[in-house]
Amino acid sequence: MISKDDIKNLARLELTEGEVAGLQKDISNVLEYVGQLRRFEVGVPTEASGVSLATRNVMRSDEPRGENDPLGGKREALLSAFPKREGDYALVRKIIQKDE
Amino acid sequence: MSSELNTLSITEATEKLQKKEISAVDLTRACLKEIEKRNPALNAYLEVFDDAEKQARSADERRAKGESSPLLGVPLAIKDNILIEGKCVSAASKILEGYVATYDATVIKKLKDAGTVFLGRTNMDEFAHGSSTENSAFGPSKNPHDESRIPGGSSGGSAAAVAADLALGALGSDTGGSIREPASFCGIVGLKPTYGKVSRSGLIAMGSSLDQIGPLTKSVADAELLFNAMRGRDALDSTSTDQGSTLTQGSQDRTFKKKIGVPRHLLGTGVDQDVLERFEQSLAALKTKGYEVVDIELPSAGLALAIYYVIMPAEVSANLARFDGVRYGLSHTGSSQWEDYAKTRAAGFGPEVRRRVMLGTYVLSSGYYDAYYGKATATRAELSAEVSRVLQDVVIIANPTTPTPASKLGEKTGDPLSMYLLDIFTVTANLTGNPAISVPMGTVPREGLPAQAGKELPVGIQFTAAHGNEQALFTIGKALEERLQ
Repeated sequence: MISKDDIKNLARLELTEGEVAGLQKDISNVLEYVGQLRRFEVGVPTEASGVSLATRNVMRSDEPRGENDPLGGKREALLSAFPKREGDYALVRKIIQKDE
Repeated sequence: MSSELNTLSITEATEKLQKKEISAVDLTRACLKEIEKRNPALNAYLEVFDDAEKQARSADERRAKGESSPLLGVPLAIKDNILIEGKCVSAASKILEGYVATYDATVIKKLKDAGTVFLGRTNMDEFAHGSSTENSAFGPSKNPHDESRIPGGSSGGSAAAVAADLALGALGSDTGGSIREPASFCGIVGLKPTYGKVSRSGLIAMGSSLDQIGPLTKSVADAELLFNAMRGRDALDSTSTDQGSTLTQGSQDRTFKKKIGVPRHLLGTGVDQDVLERFEQSLAALKTKGYEVVDIELPSAGLALAIYYVIMPAEVSANLARFDGVRYGLSHTGSSQWEDYAKTRAAGFGPEVRRRVMLGTYVLSSGYYDAYYGKATATRAELSAEVSRVLQDVVIIANPTTPTPASKLGEKTGDPLSMYLLDIFTVTANLTGNPAISVPMGTVPREGLPAQAGKELPVGIQFTAAHGNEQALFTIGKALEERLQ
């Protein structure tokens, strides 16, 4: 089973111990409430039920946006929004680190 | 020019503009004057754009050159999660404070083409997470009918702006009731269109299988006007469509039938007695307009809020992963990339956002996925099937938009679950993709209201129709407006 530290890490949130305790209480209350779903038996939806879970994929080709594209010409504006920028790159730290 | 121009509906203003009795500059100035007077107390706007008058002048010039779009020169308020190129947009979050939008949302582009004036950006719950605007990083908005009460949320700033005549109309977004609930609490009209009817390109995403942009207005005709200006398929939002919906559900035109279904089994507990009385009076008024009212059963609707509080946080935790301090907005520095992320997000996200991100991460985590997300998805399909079946027979499903009128500021902030329950009647339409509208159905008295006679709190009635059948909502909404006037 997942630990509270794992969730914190997965959510990429730095939390104090006090916050963790508060969140645990709030989240337990919500989980208890949504727990009623677990007691509800649902059949697998069929064509006859008039609704399908199947959604349709909408594809587009992976191409640079041209000048006439509604989002064309926004490159510099998007790059300028990077909090840490070097040239045309967003600056991040080295991800791969030596094991201690 | 009279400063009372700001009290006009869009439809009324359009008529005066077209007859050249007034100018767009007059209208905008009237709104700006009222904003100056009331916004300090209401906190409806986070920012009033300094070029509003300039936009109005440009609309007047366009009219002088012969243009006559019904929205030309109409001043609107825009929720702070919809992008306007060159303007700040923050979703009322510290993590995006000072961020400038790099492009126009599709709805903004369409409204610019139609010639509307954008007065400013309105307050909201941070990232639209909430039902009261109390989760805004920039302080709550107040209900214009009683400033000690919430305006509702998350589009509470937009609702307060329209109700207090600080704009002729406004845009909001609705993920679980965020247009309809504040519309109900502020005594105005709020429409959540069919899923896919209005492009979400340029809307800061919350729950992508639930989100829709829609209008908050003073009349049903105004809502219809704005909806028609914004609707339509957009290549930038692959879920948008010109068909009934991207979800598969029958949607023949059933506007000719005047049959309303009421799920009375849901109204037995938790709804204030006088709210129910207004509801019954509204149904009685609609009967005199030729509508028939029948009881319907939606066995899974009692589970709607439980389904929503699994699906929504799951989608929230995924959508908010992009706020990492690398791409835009706030950026904090720790001792590693992971710490950079964690510190940025801890400093930038408020308590409710953290709660939902953690909840969403939990329900999607290995070992819990089937029990929560899997179950919620299956129950959601069942609920959609039930709504679809009922709408084969009736054209409209009706219920009170909210179980109560607006609560006091601070009344529910200590108990998140009690706040969530304000959305109990609105989440179903988001889960099933159906269009739904909240229309004022009268007022109810509450203790502590300002002493002047007749001061009561508004409440709304919600109508839901089949996918793509917004027309039925406008027809019945106008019928009710006529009866209650």
